[in-house]
Amino acid sequence: MTTGTVFWYASRATGVVSLVLFSVVAILGIMVNRQGRLPGLPRFAVTGLHRSLSLLTLAFLGTHIVTAIADGYAHIPWLSTIVPFTSGYERFWIGLGTVAIDLMAAVIVTSLLRTRLSPALWRAVHWLAYVCYPVVVVHSLGANKDLRSGWLLALTMATVFSVLTAIGYRILAAAATVPRPARVPRQLVRADRTGSLR
Amino acid sequence: MTSGAQASATGRQASLEGTVQPGATVQPEATVQPGATVLPRLLSASGRPADLAEHLRVHGRLLYRGGARMLIHSIESAGLTGRGGAAFPTHRKLTAVADQLGVPVVVGNGAEGEPASDKDKTLLWSSPHLVLDGLQLAAEAVGARRVHLYLHREPALVRHLESALAGRAAAGLDRLQVGLVTAPARFLAGEESALASRVGGGAALPRFTPPRVFEHGVDGAPTLVQNVETLAQLGLISRYGPAWFRAVGTEAEPGSMLTTIRLADGSGGVAEAAIGTPISQLLKLDRYPARAVLVGGYHGAWLSPEQAGRLTLSNADLRPLGAAAGAGVLAALPVDRCGLVESARVVRYLALESAGQCGPCLNGLPRIAASLNQLAQRRSTPADRDDVQRWSALVERRGACHHPDGTVRFLRSALAVFTDEVTLHEAGRCSARSPEPFLPIPAGSPAREEDWS
Repeated sequence: MTTGTVFWYASRATGVVSLVLFSVVAILGIMVNRQGRLPGLPRFAVTGLHRSLSLLTLAFLGTHIVTAIADGYAHIPWLSTIVPFTSGYERFWIGLGTVAIDLMAAVIVTSLLRTRLSPALWRAVHWLAYVCYPVVVVHSLGANKDLRSGWLLALTMATVFSVLTAIGYRILAAAATVPRPARVPRQLVRADRTGSLR
Repeated sequence: MTSGAQASATGRQASLEGTVQPGATVQPEATVQPGATVLPRLLSASGRPADLAEHLRVHGRLLYRGGARMLIHSIESAGLTGRGGAAFPTHRKLTAVADQLGVPVVVGNGAEGEPASDKDKTLLWSSPHLVLDGLQLAAEAVGARRVHLYLHREPALVRHLESALAGRAAAGLDRLQVGLVTAPARFLAGEESALASRVGGGAALPRFTPPRVFEHGVDGAPTLVQNVETLAQLGLISRYGPAWFRAVGTEAEPGSMLTTIRLADGSGGVAEAAIGTPISQLLKLDRYPARAVLVGGYHGAWLSPEQAGRLTLSNADLRPLGAAAGAGVLAALPVDRCGLVESARVVRYLALESAGQCGPCLNGLPRIAASLNQLAQRRSTPADRDDVQRWSALVERRGACHHPDGTVRFLRSALAVFTDEVTLHEAGRCSARSPEPFLPIPAGSPAREEDWS
């Protein structure tokens, strides 16, 4: 393995790991909402995991980007980390990766400033994650031909399927949401039913 | 320089006191007019609602002070406190709102959600013009340009106020037009932040504070929320002065207050009483003995007959016992009723009136209510009592509003005052002879979002 191929393989590998981690972060984000939660995990643990894993994803993503640019074979300019569609190599597919970075940056920066922003603004920007995820998947499939066959394709399909399942679950859970005023009466009925509650 | 500043300050104060419209009688503060101790002051003396003609005959036109903050000094000398329940010094609230940067909104709060209290509604029926005078004066004092009156959604009452406002408009009394906003029939609808949300067009749900309503209230503007009785007192103090106001009541808590009385024989009504009047006198305890006395309503506290017998209606007497004069609710529980059964009904009602926004309230109050119900139904063990105490500590001070705190205060006083009854119930017995419910509980709990708006 030469110096050039180290970067090449490192970039590919961290890219795939980033995709998998991003999927997990997305699923955690989708599953935790006002009423739903993951079985066996309290809500603060799910949000904590969501946050920690997104940081981990960021580390892999950073390596993915730096090694891709440092790799002598592909010639991707530094500008391409921020401005989409400026890379000579695979202009469109790399450009999608840049779009994803920009969207992610918006989501992360607003989350770090969350206590200083209105909840509505934070929420609106955070919804960009739903745009970011498909862009990442298309970038991965387009830029890395290895993902289009074999067990890497299976892995990609599995992650996408998991995220879609989580979204479906969330929509169904939202439909079953008890309206706020009816929540207390429901709790009281439950409490009455269990008698002394112990 | 110092003396100059003092002189100008004195000069300003003098002009403050002197700013009274021509023709108005100014009473020197040291002498008390004859009749100053006569009650009722707030409610119409004739017993009939005071229409505009009668109001003007008895009290004359309202006296604007000619600028913001001018009235605040008199209010401070009078020592008026909020009559909505918290007894917060009114002049401090007025100053806090006037000090804010934006143009304030003033809201008169007449939507008492407390089922055991009728005094605000009674006042609005009896003396709407005193309240509306106070509303205009409060608006002038804080420099507001928008004024609302928040009241029960009762068509007859709303029409009554509409016609009062129309009469005032014809007579040219009001400088600011008053918007009427109706409240849903919810216990928490009169809570300050819920009121601000409702007047701003949203649902009457409490929100987290800070920011407090006085800095960020209706549509984000600094908002003065005053109970309608406080406003009526403002209307009186502006006319008759602080010394007149202090002619009744105690030194620390001057003035009169409206009370909703429930005697042990089932009769009762709204009465105006000087602060510091013995509770036994108000409830005629010597004639109608009580098993216990509820003061301050459903966020208030139970007192034993012995406690009630030696205390007066004042926070100085009641606060050391964890009770408060609050909004003036006094109820004497008849001797043939069970305090635990009554308390369990009230706590159940309070649990259902939770806005369901905060976890401790949403999850805690129903459990506490269910457990207390077990106790009332003589199906509990001493361990259940420990549970109730433990859960109570868990919900306290953990809500956006004071609903869990008030509920826990009520519940704890019940367990303390009815200790003998608790022991009796755990042995499967009850000392009550009448199953008839005593304290008023409205029917119907909220089930839809619209129930809050």
